[in-house]
Amino acid sequence: MASPLPQVLLDGLFAGGTYALMAAGMALILGVVKVINLSHGAFFTLGAYVAYALAERGVETPIAAAPLAAVIAFAFGVFLGKSFVNPARSHPFALPVGTLACALLFEQAAQMAWGPHPLSIGADAPWIGPGGLVIRRWGVIAFLSSAALLGGLRWVLSARPGLSLRLIAEDEEIAGSLGMDVEAIRYLTFGGACAMAAAAGALLSPSGAVTPTMGRAPLLLSLVVVIVAGMDSVAAIFLLSIGLGIFGNACAWFLSPQWSYVALLAAVCLLLSARPAGIVALAGRRD
Amino acid sequence: MRNAAPFRAPKVSLRGGTPPTRSPWRGGGFLAAGIGLLLLFPLSSPDAFFLDVFTTGFLLAAFAASWDVVGGVSGQITLGHALPFGTAAYACALLTSFAGWPLPLAVAAAVLLAAAAGAGIGALSARLVGPFVALLTLALGEIAHEAAVGHTFFSGPGGYAWGGEGGIPVALPWRDAPPFWSYYAALAFLCLASFGMLRFSRSGAGLILRAVAGSPITAQASGVPIARFRRLAFTVGSAFAGAAGAGFVLHVGRATATDLSLELSFQAATFAAVGGRGTIVGPVVAALVLHVLFQGLSLPPSARVLLYALTLLVTLRFFPGGVVGTARDLASRLGGKEGTRPPRRRGRNRSGGGTP
Amino acid sequence: MTVNPGSLLRPPYILIGPAALFLYLFSCVFPAAPCVAAAHPDALKIGVLAPLSGPYAAGGTSFVQAATLAVEQANAEGGVFGQRVTIVVGDTQGRVDVAKAEALRLVSREKVSALVGAYLSEETVGVMEVAAAHRTVLLVPVAATAEITDKVRREYARYRYVFRVGYSIPQWAEMIAAFLSDRKVRRYAFVGAGIRWNRELGETLERIVAPLGIAPAYTAYYSPGNPAFDTVAVAAAAASPDIVILADPGRNSVSFLKRLRESAPALPALSIGGALGDARLAASVPLSAPVYVQAAAWRGVSAAATAYVERYEHRFGAPPVGYSDTLPYDAVTVLVAAWRKAGSAATEAVVPVLERGTFAGAAGAYRFDDAHQADWGTGPGALRGIFVRWERDGARIVFPPR
Repeated sequence: MASPLPQVLLDGLFAGGTYALMAAGMALILGVVKVINLSHGAFFTLGAYVAYALAERGVETPIAAAPLAAVIAFAFGVFLGKSFVNPARSHPFALPVGTLACALLFEQAAQMAWGPHPLSIGADAPWIGPGGLVIRRWGVIAFLSSAALLGGLRWVLSARPGLSLRLIAEDEEIAGSLGMDVEAIRYLTFGGACAMAAAAGALLSPSGAVTPTMGRAPLLLSLVVVIVAGMDSVAAIFLLSIGLGIFGNACAWFLSPQWSYVALLAAVCLLLSARPAGIVALAGRRD
Repeated sequence: MRNAAPFRAPKVSLRGGTPPTRSPWRGGGFLAAGIGLLLLFPLSSPDAFFLDVFTTGFLLAAFAASWDVVGGVSGQITLGHALPFGTAAYACALLTSFAGWPLPLAVAAAVLLAAAAGAGIGALSARLVGPFVALLTLALGEIAHEAAVGHTFFSGPGGYAWGGEGGIPVALPWRDAPPFWSYYAALAFLCLASFGMLRFSRSGAGLILRAVAGSPITAQASGVPIARFRRLAFTVGSAFAGAAGAGFVLHVGRATATDLSLELSFQAATFAAVGGRGTIVGPVVAALVLHVLFQGLSLPPSARVLLYALTLLVTLRFFPGGVVGTARDLASRLGGKEGTRPPRRRGRNRSGGGTP
Repeated sequence: MTVNPGSLLRPPYILIGPAALFLYLFSCVFPAAPCVAAAHPDALKIGVLAPLSGPYAAGGTSFVQAATLAVEQANAEGGVFGQRVTIVVGDTQGRVDVAKAEALRLVSREKVSALVGAYLSEETVGVMEVAAAHRTVLLVPVAATAEITDKVRREYARYRYVFRVGYSIPQWAEMIAAFLSDRKVRRYAFVGAGIRWNRELGETLERIVAPLGIAPAYTAYYSPGNPAFDTVAVAAAAASPDIVILADPGRNSVSFLKRLRESAPALPALSIGGALGDARLAASVPLSAPVYVQAAAWRGVSAAATAYVERYEHRFGAPPVGYSDTLPYDAVTVLVAAWRKAGSAATEAVVPVLERGTFAGAAGAYRFDDAHQADWGTGPGALRGIFVRWERDGARIVFPPR
């Protein structure tokens, strides 16, 4: 039997990978499309249901389900972006509320399609590491995928293809006047980020039960990560996600499992009080 | 510039300022008609269920309006507005059930406690802007919700545990309130509360809050103590939310963890978005209409949720500024800006003319 | 508010006052809702209150399905007094205010003869008030809080219409204690959500098993909002108990069991009921160690239970999980039996019959005590419940032994 504390911390690492997966797409939307996407959790759920549907038909590995989930979510995300997010951007407050309504719609549709009862996909046996450490397969997949995703995002943003995204994030008018199709880039980015959320949902589906409202908790935590870490530094998002995962588990271990969530939230509040502009306050940033 | 004498702006008092001479909105007639209809509705003998739905609707509408004081007038989007609502609800329940306080005293204390909670939130969020305020209020609301669900150290008369997700009952002096009384009490409360919030939003302090929301830098340069005004917005909004919460718990008879839930906080923001952020009346109308329609029509559950979500999406797509907000904009564009139109002068060409 | 009163007299606003008056007069002549609903002469109505949307939709859906099945069974037997029985459903959405409003709708508008519900404790207590005010029989299938029976005992005159068909927390703990004792468990771990009734169950169980020489090796409650499964699973396994008891009936029990199996594949687990009663869910968890599930009834316990399970499976595609479906089924069955025995659906006739009689349900014979609580537990003639163990080809009944 492994000593518990390293196990708990390793599990926290994997939990942080989960948050990072969700936070990646959320940060992209918040930065480029300037929307707090409250339907991100619903796309996560969509991915999990796609994985379940495939598992029912015999395709058990979630890695195979992730691309299909991403494609479906991309289609839905582009549709949502074109029909709602772009036209309603004159009033920035309507956007998060609209995405929330969209999440409600998705959840209800999922409940009508698959029923409200929890569903479950069998997970493969975990690997046993040194000292009896249990290394969960889906945990490793989540961690590596999030690292790859965020690394890829960082590379894209710093390379030529990402320049248009960064310019739109910085100033849409200038981007538009340079001839960029801002509208198209907005809804394509929205769709892409939703695809990331669905892929995350598919990859993580074996970890627990699949229900229509399963995306709500990851949504909340990824929102916390993205807002606190800011959209400027991908590394900050990754590190903060991992940090929150480990911190949550450590609190559950040392304090009490009942209050680990409260401790996490209190830590976030303290963080915000200490650094009101987020943890990455870049120097010389123009207003 | 650093060596120049600091700019001293005249002190701005929290009260005072000059209220506008005329409301820029001519919807007072519609408002009066609406209130009239609501007053007369119970006389057409609807059943107890309908009256109950309206009563809850009035209380939620007051709650939505109180969100608008913070999120609309003051521009601080809060995603934890259920905190003062639920604080007042639990305070009422605890003070009457355990401390044995008389109901009016407990309600007053509950509202004060909610206002104090709001002041605390305002103090914590004073230095934050935009999404950070939303995040902080969300986190605080969730902490309160978790605390409400997790505590079970109160015990009821039979020695069993109270609290947690099951909530705490309120010791009411009445057993089963007649639906008519609840309806009119809630309607009166809604009218009074909305009136109060409208007056606040159109007072000097309200104007200053709108100015701070519009451009904090300008306001700060004019010498406005931003943090104090933001705290004031939170305090006032939370006080009204607490009043709505107390009313709600008097109607339902029990304070439960749902009164502190994220869903309730989101509902307030949703009603404000659909109604029109900053209008105070918009969230009231949106809350009332949406609640009564979707709870009162007894639709099958899946259809109800789907229709509700679709209604929100469609409304926000075509009225992103909210229904009342868009109506206001339309009215002011069609009818000209009230109070800013120069007096008519006979024989004068209004279109061109005047000084070049 | 700065409204110019003069503006109210300008057209078109001046028309609004008379329009309102006209509407009022119109609605006086044609009432908005009929004061007396057209009572269907050929149907008795049962009002069913359960959450069909929101986070508890899973439990509520099986609740309504089982109630529907019970009513169909009653009609297949010829109805009651020659009349058909129908169900009117109210969606409580997991909130007290909606539960009360829906109860009001069922009682005042739909004119139901009795209510069955609700699902959550707070909903049920709210519905109790409505039932008491309107003197309507209310049968509570789930909702284990002591507040319900305590109210009946303290204010009998007001709450005597309320009967609980499901087990109370002490009865639940008694049944679990009997099972633990039968399995020769000395140390157990108790894991639940940080909600009141899970904690109550844990504390009551600890108290009841103490004289039997059984003690908890580890107790933990995780936050329902963001459950710390990893930590609790690891700690529970590290405490080396003989069995882990999962008190959370919902989807979290599945997630937790998966974690537990990863950390401690050989540790038996007992779920007190709920999601893990579903065969498909149980099949997704490795069977490296026994998984036991407690239920009110199961296929094979009795002829009535088997008939019920097979009818449910035939009608809805999957067998019942044994708690949030079986108990509502029995609640409706008991109600219909009480109606037949009383010869009338009138409340004043039914209440004494329920208090004194014995009624057959899928789980066994229901009898109510002074606090209108059904007799569950290990006493003579009590309803025993059932413990099954999941195996590759289905569930096997392990306790009470046949």
